[in-house]
Amino acid sequence: MQFLVIGMIAVVGAAYLARRFSQSGLKPAFGAVVGAVVGMIGSAALMIPLDWCTFDPDRTATDMGFGILLMAATAALALGATGWIAGNLAARRTVFSGGTQPGTFKGWLTPWILLAPTIGVLALFLYYPSLDTFRLSTLLALLGAPRTRFICVDNFTRLATDTVYLNSVATTILISIAIVVISLVLSLFIASMVYLPIKGASVYRTLLIWPYAISPAVAGVIFLLLFNPTGGIINYALNNLFGLRIPWLNDPAWAPWAVIIASVWKSLGYNILFYLAGLQNVPKDLIEAAAIDGANALQRFRQVVLPMLSPITFFLVITNMTYAFFETFGTIDYLTGGGPLNSTTTMMYNIFLVGIRNNDLGKAAAQSIVLFVLVIGFTVLQFRTAGQRVTYGA
Amino acid sequence: MASIAQESALERVKVNPAASLLPKRWYAHLTLWIACFLIGFPLFYSILVSTQTNSDVFAYRFEPGTAFANNWNTVMVFGNLGNFMLNSVIVSVAVTVGKVVLSLLAGLAFVYFRFPGKWLVFGFVLVTLMMPTEILIIALFRFVNQLGWGNTYLALIVPFIASATGAFLFRQHFANIPAELSEAAQLDGATPIQFLIRVLIPISWNTIGALTVIQFVYAWNMYLWPALIIQGQASQVVQVGLRTLMGADQGISFGPLMLAAVVASLPPLVVFLLLQKQFMSGFALSRDK
Amino acid sequence: MRKSLLLVVALSLLLGVMPAAAQTKIDVPVWIAFTDAIRLGWAQDRAAEFNAMHPEYNVTVQGYANYEELFAATALAAEQGSLPAVVQYFEVATQNARDSGYFKSIADALAGRTEVLGHEVNLDDFIAPVSAYYTLDGKFTSMPWNTSSAIWFSNMNYLNAAGVEIPSTWAEVEAACEAIMALENAPEYCFTFPNHGWFFEQWIAQQNGVYANNDNGRSARATEVLLGGEAGVALLNWLDDMAAKGYLYYSGAQGGASWGTVDQAFQSQQVAMAAYSSSDTAVYTQTGIDNGFEVVASFLPYNQETGWTGNLIGGASLWLVDGLAPEVEDGALGYLLYITNAENAASWHQVTGYIAIRQSAIDLLTEQGWYDENPNFRVASDQLSQSTVTVATSGAILGGFPSIRNVVTQAVDTVLLTDQPAEAVLANAIASANAILTEYNLLYAE
Repeated sequence: MQFLVIGMIAVVGAAYLARRFSQSGLKPAFGAVVGAVVGMIGSAALMIPLDWCTFDPDRTATDMGFGILLMAATAALALGATGWIAGNLAARRTVFSGGTQPGTFKGWLTPWILLAPTIGVLALFLYYPSLDTFRLSTLLALLGAPRTRFICVDNFTRLATDTVYLNSVATTILISIAIVVISLVLSLFIASMVYLPIKGASVYRTLLIWPYAISPAVAGVIFLLLFNPTGGIINYALNNLFGLRIPWLNDPAWAPWAVIIASVWKSLGYNILFYLAGLQNVPKDLIEAAAIDGANALQRFRQVVLPMLSPITFFLVITNMTYAFFETFGTIDYLTGGGPLNSTTTMMYNIFLVGIRNNDLGKAAAQSIVLFVLVIGFTVLQFRTAGQRVTYGA
Repeated sequence: MASIAQESALERVKVNPAASLLPKRWYAHLTLWIACFLIGFPLFYSILVSTQTNSDVFAYRFEPGTAFANNWNTVMVFGNLGNFMLNSVIVSVAVTVGKVVLSLLAGLAFVYFRFPGKWLVFGFVLVTLMMPTEILIIALFRFVNQLGWGNTYLALIVPFIASATGAFLFRQHFANIPAELSEAAQLDGATPIQFLIRVLIPISWNTIGALTVIQFVYAWNMYLWPALIIQGQASQVVQVGLRTLMGADQGISFGPLMLAAVVASLPPLVVFLLLQKQFMSGFALSRDK
Repeated sequence: MRKSLLLVVALSLLLGVMPAAAQTKIDVPVWIAFTDAIRLGWAQDRAAEFNAMHPEYNVTVQGYANYEELFAATALAAEQGSLPAVVQYFEVATQNARDSGYFKSIADALAGRTEVLGHEVNLDDFIAPVSAYYTLDGKFTSMPWNTSSAIWFSNMNYLNAAGVEIPSTWAEVEAACEAIMALENAPEYCFTFPNHGWFFEQWIAQQNGVYANNDNGRSARATEVLLGGEAGVALLNWLDDMAAKGYLYYSGAQGGASWGTVDQAFQSQQVAMAAYSSSDTAVYTQTGIDNGFEVVASFLPYNQETGWTGNLIGGASLWLVDGLAPEVEDGALGYLLYITNAENAASWHQVTGYIAIRQSAIDLLTEQGWYDENPNFRVASDQLSQSTVTVATSGAILGGFPSIRNVVTQAVDTVLLTDQPAEAVLANAIASANAILTEYNLLYAE
């Protein structure tokens, strides 16, 4: 079975690279050979360490499908990279050497020495643990247990039926979209006000952006006080003003909003700051004109200022998304502990609950990898879709 | 802080125009007042509660309480806050200094050298931008323990002293510096390190300031990693240390908890407010040109 | 620049090893799961006394926010080889303690000695249910310290106003709630309990429901989780019914941290009654005095359909880490014996509400008239001593119990917060729990 898959991938790879090579002005036949080889190697890259276990006779069809998917994915990655490198080489771009910056120093050893600490730390503390995460994800491994057991891709395929996990995916999506949208809209609005030539703008600026320095954990503590079911000042105010008492921390429908509000509060300053910096690139009179009431001004804001801010917006969407995925951890841990009913358990928080609280390293590693792939996929998607519409320059 | 207060006093004098009842662009002032209030309120209320007892909190007594000394004592003795703060300062300063130094060196190598494999190294560093430590946390935990660094400052510092963000920030900044500077330095026979120290660093303070703020705040706010790798309070940082005041049982005593939270927020706030200008211009510079 | 880099590295190396250096006394680190001034403070005060008695020792007591965090911290510390000398493990971690090899039994460490550092051993003095509970595989395993049971606290202002007696069954709880909630100045809710798996365990043990097979894991390693079967369903249905009628206040399940919200609700008189651990008898009683209402403790209400078999011992015990240097081990043993001597066991009971674990401590308290003056404090020990000892009321020992307990908490959450029927929720919980247990046994069982 696996040989059939490799063969098919090799054929596809040959066809693909042949096309890419001919587009770049290289010989298609050469491309076909390279494509076949790279396709085979690429498809086997993950399967060899897995020992082709997904094709074992006692495995389910899901496992086999997942294995084929893995082979296709790694092969596609290898083929894409090869095609890109070949294209660049063919265009005689100096891919493997530095740019043509004038005023460079001589010597090839010095830059390596300068870069050695950075490379060393990244290799040891980011790349190596990544590989180890892959290894762990194929194991049934409990922290402290005397032995582990190889279970192929079970940690991955079981995620598809794990309701707690699927729920955490939905929670992550809800929380991150809400944080990004609310925080960016509010901060753009506030930033455009601060940017007006008004008295005291610098004082306002300082009073608006300081929560950037507050930690997500402390934000959780502060909002635990504000949202507390007994003595929480927000409900006290809501009750006195509107007769409302919201079960912020006890109702699965409300708890994510408690996390979202705390996170928006904490991230607003950062976003305001960057929008302010971005607005510096927009001519003042444009903003002034746009900020004055009236549909016309609003339109101008939308048509003139907003496009000029799109690189910043693009950057902020990515950083805020990263914030929502990872940094909300501290807020959640202090504010809700992931509850009630897992309503605030994000994917990252679930990794912690599974891996640390329940000692289940293998499952946590598998979830980490899925999250990792998701983050990369999301970033690439952002670059491809938003990147094209982003207006650079000014 | 003093300068801000002075500035605001000045502004207040100027804002009152005799000509019209409403200041110019009153809607902006109104919006900003509301925004400042909403953003400031949570911290303000936390400071208030840090002087209160739980009964004060539950009775919504919106005035300073009398329990500050008591809360302070709780925080320092049971909360062990002094020790946690010291650890956080040591770790954050070390991480920040390490990151700035390593990033400067990397930026220097990327901009002022041509060498085989540069493209590969660049990609190697670039990819780490998409690899949050949080994802690797379990494998990193195992590895750092194998090194025997569990429970030490090393575990909190070394894995974090390389920064892709910093390397690219300096790379971008250096790339905008006219090539004549390095040509002149080379004519004078300066080594790359001398060039870095005498020429580049003096014109990079804004970028260094910006990176310092980001990394100090980042290091100070680390939470999950220290919670895993530091077991035992001697080397624990304050973000995790706050948990000691979050007793599960017998309810939370909000006074001490909020006091500790406020104290734990002061150092990054101070660093941020001090370097605010550098922070803003450091980023504006790197994008403008 | 490279020199300063070296300096930074050297500095951090220096700082890294600093905490280990500069110690002349014998350190005996103790980790417990309390952070409140009463309990952590008590343990630290005893440590200070112990250190004064034995100047060569430096016992330090460190508090973690709750049992769950301390359990996770212990596993992490074991992984890095930095376990302290004594760890407070909660009852559900017993199988893990047995399998992990982190700990040494107290009996082995004592090796027949009758005193350690001048502190008398006398294990026979521990009251029967306690010594039975902490004896594992025929050996006195861990040091009992904070032993409790789940009991019921009533705010008598509400009960008297409504003219109802303290309820002793689920049906009586409902009847009392009906009367209380009909009051003119009724509380927001009638009663609450911390949504922590321990209460589920207590309520099914009362109905003689068994948690796991192989006699609750006591005759052989448990291989299947039962969660009380019918008893579990009955409990979930009752809770669901009470929540639907607006009697039960769901106070949230923040990880292991749902206790605090119940304290607050009871203290601020948002509820009239609460199920809670006897550990906080002192706090609850005092809360009433401070806020002007009488607090009476009673047995945990039971299912009138099945009757009351008994309640579980709860709380945690102090485990001695294996592989300590002999002098550290003796220091740890000495401290454990010191804090559980008659005088200290009595004092511990008085400041908290955990039961007095030694007969000599009970005698001391009886002599002082403590129980007559403070009837709330005798409820937990009465409840335990009147319990019939069965497989169910002995409590379960099983692998992965801390994780399984989370599954159960989740199930209770699901019943209270969604419309799913109790049978289906419990069946799902059993399936998840069995998956955890199977994996645990796969890696740990011989």
